Amino acid sequence: MRVAGLVFATAYAAFIASVYARQPRTVQQLAGGMAASVGAYRVDPVNFQEGLRFFRADQFIEARAAFERADPARQDAPTQFYIAYSFYRQGWGRLYRDDALYRQGLEVVDRAIARAPGGRLVVADPNLQMHTADELRAELQRGLTRELSDLSPMKVFAERK
Amino acid sequence: MTRPLPPAREAFVLPALFLTVAGAGGLRVSPDGGAMSFVPPPLITLVLAVLLLGVMARAGLLLPSGLLGDHRTGLENASGVVVLLSLFAASAQLFTCLTPDAGVLRLIFNLFFLFLLWNTLAAQPDRTRLLRSLLVVFGWAYVVRYVALAALADPQAGWTRRLLTVLLEGASSGPIAGEATAPLAGYVAFATLALYMTGLGLLPRPAPSAAAALVTTRAPDVLE
Repeated sequence: MRVAGLVFATAYAAFIASVYARQPRTVQQLAGGMAASVGAYRVDPVNFQEGLRFFRADQFIEARAAFERADPARQDAPTQFYIAYSFYRQGWGRLYRDDALYRQGLEVVDRAIARAPGGRLVVADPNLQMHTADELRAELQRGLTRELSDLSPMKVFAERK
Repeated sequence: MTRPLPPAREAFVLPALFLTVAGAGGLRVSPDGGAMSFVPPPLITLVLAVLLLGVMARAGLLLPSGLLGDHRTGLENASGVVVLLSLFAASAQLFTCLTPDAGVLRLIFNLFFLFLLWNTLAAQPDRTRLLRSLLVVFGWAYVVRYVALAALADPQAGWTRRLLTVLLEGASSGPIAGEATAPLAGYVAFATLALYMTGLGLLPRPAPSAAAALVTTRAPDVLE
């Protein structure tokens, strides 16, 4: 009885500490976090496929809406990766980079890395040029960094990844 | 001497109650009810929690010998430590729950708790009186925080807001700003307070003979 009580109290305290650490903003995120902690969280496949379709058609706002529906608790690393990627692609311009979108992308890719087992996330999608969260993170950070090479006219020929 | 607690109460019920209070005490809901956040205990609430546990021990509401000691096995002591730690966490988060988040009101609330606990410590009440006193103190804090201040911040509060504004007129040099609170937060805080008081009521009690000795020590004039 007492051993079971100790296990119960430890598990409950750990759960509460994890809630305070994760800071869920909605009830869905809270419930999703609970489900993910016991391995029962699943992404909605229909919304995920719809998000992918929008993403590949460069409809990034629509894609994010669909991905958010697919992963309302923000617990699935690949879905968060695609959301971050959509911020990158939407914020990428031949002559400029949208800092606000890049910052949001950086925030989401950090979340994706945090959710990935061991912090390593690889998405084997042939339509992407960056397949790991580390590459995407570095690209977003480069876009936010101001340096002399930004003035190089050769940057006009750079391709979106 | 204490009455032994039923094992289920000590191992499950008390930790569950106090950990629930510790978790729910830091919950904040945005005024529109759209977003929530969890606030860790500020340092001052840890100090208040230590003081509160001291007051409880002094009054016989918290009997450490009922939870820890050489007369208990290692497992029983571990169980007692869990109860004590969860009670401490719950106390700290209850203060977080009942205190405004910022501004001069937060300072006033914290000073209010500090002086009341200090005063209670000096008064040396018995278990029952301390329970009543805590109910009144926390109950009033709840009413001020979640009813009065919420009404002051709510432009649609109607007669409650007008009544409070009239009552507080002249009490300060300027208008007292309320603190916008989502209705859900008030319900959660009420449940949190109720759970905490329930948990206190379930803590180990002194054995009848020990209780009589406690009364003799504390209030000899009453017995004479």
